[in-house]
Amino acid sequence: MTSGTGIPVLPAAAAGRAARTTSKTAGGRRDSFQKRLLIHGVLMIASLIAAFPVVRVLSIALRPTNALLEREFRLIPEHATLDSFGHVINGTSLPQWLFNSLIITVGTSLVGLVFAATSAYAFSRYKFPGRGIGLTALLATQLIPATMLLVPIFILAVQLDLTGTYRGLVIAYSVTSVPFSIWILKGYYDTVPIELEEAARIDGASQLGAFWRILLPLSAPALAIVFLFNFLAAWNEFVLARVLIGSTTELFTWPLGILRFQAQFQTQWGDLAAASILVSIPIVALFLYSSKWLISGVTLGGVKG
Amino acid sequence: MNFDQSASALQEIVLTLVVIAVAVAALEGFLYLVLVRWIKARLAVPLMLIAPAFVGLLLLIAYPLLWELNVSFTNMSLRRFCAPDFPTAGLLTECKGESMFVGAENYIKVFTTPVLQQAGFFQVLWQTVLWTVLNVTMHVAGGLGLALLLHRQMRGKGIYRALIVLPWAVPQIVALAVWRTELHGEFGMVNQLLGLVGVTGPSWLTDPTWNFAAMVMVNVWLGIPFMMVILLGGLQSIPGDLYEAAEIDGASSRQSFRHITLPMIAPVLTPAIILGVVWTFNNFNVPFVLNQNELETSDTLVTGLFRAAFQYNRYGFAGAYAFAIFAVLLLFVIFYVRRSGALKSVHE
Amino acid sequence: MSVPKSIKFLPLAMVVALVLAACTSTSASPSAGEPSESAEASEPSFPTGDIAIELWTKEGDPNIDFVQQLADDYSALHPNVTFNVVNKDVELLREDMVNSALAPETQPELLWTVLDHVGPFYDAGVVQPLTGQFDESVLADAAKGAGTYGPDNDVWVDPISIGNQLMLYYNKTMVADAPADTDAMIAAAVANTAGDKYGLVYNQTEPFWLVPWLGGFGGSVFGSDGQTPTLDTPEMQSTLQFLYDLKFDSKVMPSECDYTCADDLFKTGSAGMIINGDWALGDYTTALGDDLGVTAIPMVASTGTYPAPYIGGTYWMVPSAVEGDTLTVVLDFIDFTLAADQQQAQVEVLKRLPSNDEILNSAVVTGDPNLADAADAVSKGVPQPVNLEMRCNWDAMKPQMSAVLSGTASVADAAAAMQAAADACVAAL
Repeated sequence: MTSGTGIPVLPAAAAGRAARTTSKTAGGRRDSFQKRLLIHGVLMIASLIAAFPVVRVLSIALRPTNALLEREFRLIPEHATLDSFGHVINGTSLPQWLFNSLIITVGTSLVGLVFAATSAYAFSRYKFPGRGIGLTALLATQLIPATMLLVPIFILAVQLDLTGTYRGLVIAYSVTSVPFSIWILKGYYDTVPIELEEAARIDGASQLGAFWRILLPLSAPALAIVFLFNFLAAWNEFVLARVLIGSTTELFTWPLGILRFQAQFQTQWGDLAAASILVSIPIVALFLYSSKWLISGVTLGGVKG
Repeated sequence: MNFDQSASALQEIVLTLVVIAVAVAALEGFLYLVLVRWIKARLAVPLMLIAPAFVGLLLLIAYPLLWELNVSFTNMSLRRFCAPDFPTAGLLTECKGESMFVGAENYIKVFTTPVLQQAGFFQVLWQTVLWTVLNVTMHVAGGLGLALLLHRQMRGKGIYRALIVLPWAVPQIVALAVWRTELHGEFGMVNQLLGLVGVTGPSWLTDPTWNFAAMVMVNVWLGIPFMMVILLGGLQSIPGDLYEAAEIDGASSRQSFRHITLPMIAPVLTPAIILGVVWTFNNFNVPFVLNQNELETSDTLVTGLFRAAFQYNRYGFAGAYAFAIFAVLLLFVIFYVRRSGALKSVHE
Repeated sequence: MSVPKSIKFLPLAMVVALVLAACTSTSASPSAGEPSESAEASEPSFPTGDIAIELWTKEGDPNIDFVQQLADDYSALHPNVTFNVVNKDVELLREDMVNSALAPETQPELLWTVLDHVGPFYDAGVVQPLTGQFDESVLADAAKGAGTYGPDNDVWVDPISIGNQLMLYYNKTMVADAPADTDAMIAAAVANTAGDKYGLVYNQTEPFWLVPWLGGFGGSVFGSDGQTPTLDTPEMQSTLQFLYDLKFDSKVMPSECDYTCADDLFKTGSAGMIINGDWALGDYTTALGDDLGVTAIPMVASTGTYPAPYIGGTYWMVPSAVEGDTLTVVLDFIDFTLAADQQQAQVEVLKRLPSNDEILNSAVVTGDPNLADAADAVSKGVPQPVNLEMRCNWDAMKPQMSAVLSGTASVADAAAAMQAAADACVAAL
């Protein structure tokens, strides 16, 4: 039995009550005991399936031998050792790669978010000629397989002297997630009734003031998601980094750095696994702490029909 | 960790961000002068808002696209390795003594010659469509189901969310390598677990049908977390009093799901589906890594493209192939976008 | 509707933006260093002035440390020469080098790579010929003439190590002596297959493991011109049949096994024998110690011919844009790495066979039984074809080999399909 497939009626009923329990306007009844048991059961199975390969990665990282295959069920292998972790932290430049990735990712995610938030506002709240075409064009940018654009981007970057440094990469990352972000944000903005902003304007706020003070706070979950997505995309990104950083080893982000552990027939599985665990930690931490942003902070009861 | 290196890297990034900010300011200033003061356009505001993003995208995507289009009309390859002049597609460039222009020959080859060794374009297209439909359906169903489950006050919500998001968080290369190992016919965990319940697991890596199933399984595992997060955010924005009112009116939970939840998350779900379709269609990693035995029945258009074109650097052919993929997706996008009303603005 | 006040950004001149962009050219990337004034004198003095050499090597962790050591040792002798050693795995190195044809300023100064890169690099025009540029007299016979290609029979590489050959490794606790021929090998494998242990394993997914057997049956992937694929031959069918029987009649190997599977099984003592390359020697020595035995792949019993694995090794190549003083230093560095001391260190650290003849015949190789056996295996091999058509052959053979080994294609059909695919591919090049 896999979890989450199909749209069961039970959770839908629970969702109805759940919406009431999480909204600010009513306390709401709690789900019955059996319902909660069922929900927790399903979620636990889903978590298990999601986490299992990651746990395997951990056990590979803890193995004393450099082996990928293990014909046993053990989570913690025999003679488990932290040597691989020690080696990647002290013996390679992984900390440097992580730092590089972090500063690029945070910087470009914020910039991308700003671009997307403002552009999505225009697409959602205005009618202007070329709007439909613009949106479709944004979507069209996602249609070309990225590998196709490698060579021309490489040539362009060399001509503009953007290779071997972070300049090209920052510009590229700031821009690549924008189409997706605009679409998602526009979708969220569309769910917020425009009456709220109009009410604010009647009260004397400027157009962009209404945007800043009314729409943005209500869209906090969407903004958080877009930031997370930008972060994740830039954090794991390899193709553009390879083209735009090239051989400048001190600028390597972690996807470029861990290539050292992969060879055609001599992959260092232990090191690779240990590095993978370490690079996943910031993402998981981000998700764990993003909960407060993923909940609307302001009551939606402000406008009565 | 080297502090000098870190400092200079940080400095370079900050400087680039400053440059971007300044360039944007300059762009906005220029547009302001032109649109507001000079043309006195009424709709200056939206245009000014979207300008920075579009300028960046133009640079990053439009130029490479045009370059690829130009090359797709040439016979540029490893043995004819000259950059064709733009925009005459190599008509005037001589490479090894001959002009590089071949007209639509590459496009004809894409549709008539086997992509790899036996499978033709349309067979691989069908495989790709099947792959996409199966994946996106399960992504949406699974993501929505999990989001609905998590959309309530409960203990451990954060933990569940963090765990379920792990497939998205872990580097794909490693996750896929682990999956490939676990799908091994004899030593993989999947078949060992199946063995515990008395089922003989199939050869996930060598049997055509089961390899395709394995690819779908793994990609569903990879893709559900993303959908779940998007939809969870969408569910948050549904006002609770709607459900209250519905229940007072006597609506069943199924009815309130159909008539409240679904329409309210539609503006978010629709773009997620469109993007999910596009990304799944163009997904390279999963079919490539899980199909190390190069079964042609498991190839999608992009892996076929990669194997056929990049191993021999047949740039012209690869360009034509890429545009064929682009055209297929564009047709879908235009059709679906119009039909689903995703382009509607909030005024309509 | 008038434009709200908050839109009124201060109009800054575009010039300011451009000026700032120019100013962000802070840290210079370590690209091709141009030598300063070279001596005009005709005496062959070592160039003065700072020389920066970017070296791309296919070696990853931990072998890259050895490459770095070579570079450091050389820099100690010539302090004005600095190195940037960059790891690029085989496929990435190939792609980046080929792409550099479109942007020569991104080329490195030196390449440490595999032999079959000669073909694509020659076609793209990104490497320069080394004919007569290095001292061939120090090379072992097996290394001489490697990388000869092109209409003028130029030499494009300088061998650092020889090897890459497939050999038979065996676990002495399970297989007492090296099998003399394939019958003995099969018998030993059958005797060791029981429970969860297998007698013989190898990477069943790559045709690299097929070609030695093809040689053992007297076949070859190319015709006499070295360019036309000859895959649909009786010899290929015999080879495929042999591999099929080995798997389905003798039943000595798992139903699916790729490189990692075979490697892991042997290292954990679950497989009695493995056919693998010389690159695994160090790893297996660590895993099995004195229980490790090495020998050339046994003679095919029905033909009396030894299988002929493809020999390669690691090679220096020099990109086409390198010239002047930098080229002089690069060539000097290459000679440095071929000298006896460095070659001996390579044997000790990397456990690879040296290209230097003196060291190949010295005690450091002959005294180590496994290395000596590896040297014997090399002598039975054939040079790896380097042209682009070879890639067509690999791609044609791979799916058919899998099909035969999974029982989904007959031997005759597979051979015919291979030939058709290779022909189509060559025609499209």
